[in-house]
Amino acid sequence: MLTLTCPYCGVSGEETEFHAGGEAHLKRFISGSTDAEFDEYMFLRENPKGVHFERWRHVYGCGKWFHAARDTNTLEVFGTYSAQVSEPPKEIKDKISAKRPGWSWRNFK
Amino acid sequence: MSKAVSALAGAKASVLVAIEERGLQGMITLRGDFASAAFKKAVKSVLGVDLPGQRAVAVAGEKAVAWMSPDELLVMVPHEEADAVVEALSGALKSEHHLAVNVSDARAVFRLSGKDALVREVIAKVAPVDMAGFGPGQIRRTRISQVAGAFWQPEAGVLDLVCFRSVAQYVFDLLKVSAMEGSEVGHLG
Amino acid sequence: MTGGFQPYDALMSLFREFAALPVAFDWAEKDSKTTRGHPRQRRGIRPDMKRYSAFAIAREALRHHTGWERAWRSPEPKKKYDAIIVGAGGHGLATAYYLGKNYGIKNVAILEKGWLGGGNTGRNTTIIRSNYLQDPSAAIYEKARSLYETMSQDLNYNVMFSPRGVMMLAQTQHEIRGYKRTAHANKLQGVATEFISPQRVKELVPIINIDGPRYPVLGALWQPRGGTARHDAVAWGYARACSAMGMDVIQQCEVTGVRTEGGKVIGVDTTKGAIDCDKLGLVVAGHSGVLAEKAGFRLPIESLALQALVSEPIKPCMNVVVMANTVHGYMSQSDKGEMVIGGGTDGFNNYTQRGSFHHIEETVRALNETFPIISRLKMLRQWGGIVDMTGDRSPLLSKTPVEGIFVNCGWGTGGFKAIPGSGWAMAELMAKGHSPLTDEFSMFRFREGRFIDESVAAGVAH
Ligand SMILES: Cc1cc2nc3c(=O)[nH]c(=O)nc-3n(C[C@H](O)[C@H](O)[C@H](O)COP(=O)(O)OP(=O)(O)OC[C@H]3O[C@@H](n4cnc5c(N)ncnc54)[C@H](O)[C@@H]3O)c2cc1C
Ligand SMILES: [Zn+2]
Repeated sequence: MLTLTCPYCGVSGEETEFHAGGEAHLKRFISGSTDAEFDEYMFLRENPKGVHFERWRHVYGCGKWFHAARDTNTLEVFGTYSAQVSEPPKEIKDKISAKRPGWSWRNFK
Repeated sequence: MSKAVSALAGAKASVLVAIEERGLQGMITLRGDFASAAFKKAVKSVLGVDLPGQRAVAVAGEKAVAWMSPDELLVMVPHEEADAVVEALSGALKSEHHLAVNVSDARAVFRLSGKDALVREVIAKVAPVDMAGFGPGQIRRTRISQVAGAFWQPEAGVLDLVCFRSVAQYVFDLLKVSAMEGSEVGHLG
Repeated sequence: MTGGFQPYDALMSLFREFAALPVAFDWAEKDSKTTRGHPRQRRGIRPDMKRYSAFAIAREALRHHTGWERAWRSPEPKKKYDAIIVGAGGHGLATAYYLGKNYGIKNVAILEKGWLGGGNTGRNTTIIRSNYLQDPSAAIYEKARSLYETMSQDLNYNVMFSPRGVMMLAQTQHEIRGYKRTAHANKLQGVATEFISPQRVKELVPIINIDGPRYPVLGALWQPRGGTARHDAVAWGYARACSAMGMDVIQQCEVTGVRTEGGKVIGVDTTKGAIDCDKLGLVVAGHSGVLAEKAGFRLPIESLALQALVSEPIKPCMNVVVMANTVHGYMSQSDKGEMVIGGGTDGFNNYTQRGSFHHIEETVRALNETFPIISRLKMLRQWGGIVDMTGDRSPLLSKTPVEGIFVNCGWGTGGFKAIPGSGWAMAELMAKGHSPLTDEFSMFRFREGRFIDESVAAGVAH
């Protein structure tokens, strides 16, 4: 069972209060993009065993979307952060580096 | 206008705690920018309370204001006053980006009363919330078994719970089962 | 046949347990030259493998069971193989088996990081059916189902295939339409299924509640020759047959790297050292993405935990498999009498092989509505597997961007039923570079807009 803390209302709740929204920090490639870009955006998803970044929504709570940094193998949550950013904040990255030295995810390290 | 009736016409049950559908309750969803001085002023002037802090409930007589999210409040007023309060809020917030809607008849409200530990225990069985850390002054939006709901404690030994009207019967039955005689756990004292 | 205690069923299940014992006798001729054309050799089984039979049980009973030999060898890896299969689950083993049997490629190693059949193959709820919607699916799933019919004989290993019939309940108007459409499609594909009435459902499954409360049963898609099989036995049977063909099934050998040269595979690195190969088949279900990354390409796959559970054993009460997509649960009864139950996957990517607790509650709650008799049953144990989900809920049997590397994955929540057909097709793909059964299942189909949408057929994880 996964426990997440919503950065908007401060509630620490178990996963049934939340809804998973898939891979985080996707960049949209639609009209005008190449086939390869569109393929990647539309059909390919990061699927690491380890450090992962996702979107979540506090559906049964405040209703807000937010981001979570998590280990898919241990369910450890490194931290949650605002939805209004396009990459993980430094303090989250630092926390992950302390626990998983040498991690990388897409082009984030 | 047709006569308003509540979802379960004041249904009651007396089990481990008393459960009662509270009848008509005025409720307004108010959304806006909490950081804006005009918004704070409007809440204060129309409702007589300061903007509540994160997950807090502010009470002033028959009115109460609950923090629902960083940009949403739940305003509780007597049922017959709801339209007038919406109008007053809309007036006071004319120059602000905001939303004020009377949602009274889309909701149902239940009151649980009895021994405080048991009241909280009945909720602990149906919501993924640590009720040991819960008490008067707080509001919690969460899952009530299979549906959405929110609750707060006006005082120790009393708990009000709000859900959508369409699931009122489900919630009433659920609370009755959760409060069944002989089902005490006793972990909250 | 109706429910309740059936002496005949009980006898049959006893018989099946007995027959499932690995039994052997050794009248096989030792010299393969003299057995040319022998039916067993035509089946690709090495003639010096001891055969299992009822006769052998009797003989071994007389000599205190001292004559049994190991079902497969446990060799050290060689320096090089013609083909390496990564993953000794059902799909990996079946691929190897048909490489040997159909194409004579026997210098093959199957590398398994844990124990064989310890992945999803040993964790599934064993439902076998072939009534999917799209033509490419019907082709490969029906190929698989038909191979299950003769698998015990082919492998000389009792896999307890039990074509008891599988039904998928229609509990909404949408489902009625969806399943009728599938029934029509199946008719055109030559797959024997039919849409049946609620009354017929009740006749076949007397313990079912067809009146609701929330979702009354409005009919069902019924495949009489669908059913179940013993999952471990499928893996063990293939492993034994592969080993008998001279292939190396190497357990506790994790592939940690894939070596390529000039865009072509040359070998793998493992916890038992480097091993070279000409061709490499990645057949690792939930870990496909992890291995693909080591080989330098990406797959359109996400990995999630899927769970199952079983109740305490009870007397025979249900002799078909029932799946209920709308309430989201499915159930069958094992030969041991346990009710075998499954439901949905976790909602987020993970590799926990455990799954979230609340899914058990949701699944059992859903099935309580449909089968009130289970409300007093104790659940005995629960487990999870990591399933490999694709966007269109259809598998990938495909060449990859690296020459010589092939993938067989994406079976997600429903690949047990496909094991023999998938192995058959994958072996052809690896041996010949092309197979009519795998053509449509390319990993590049998404980019090309050629989805094989089976989200309805795969509605409830099965
Ligand atoms: C709970 C549950 C219920 C299911 N119910 C059904 C059902 O009723 N009907 C149905 O048709 N399907 C069902 N399925 C799906 C079915 O089990 C799978 O699709 C199928 O078993 C996949 O077989 P496989 O051989 O591809 O994978 P697996 O059996 O998982 O085999 C893959 C193997 O690869 C190994 N491996 C991974 N990484 C490495 C590495 N780096 N090096 C070496 N080895 C490695 C693993 O240890 C594993 O043994 C269910 C699945 C689950 C989890
Ligand atoms: Zn929240």
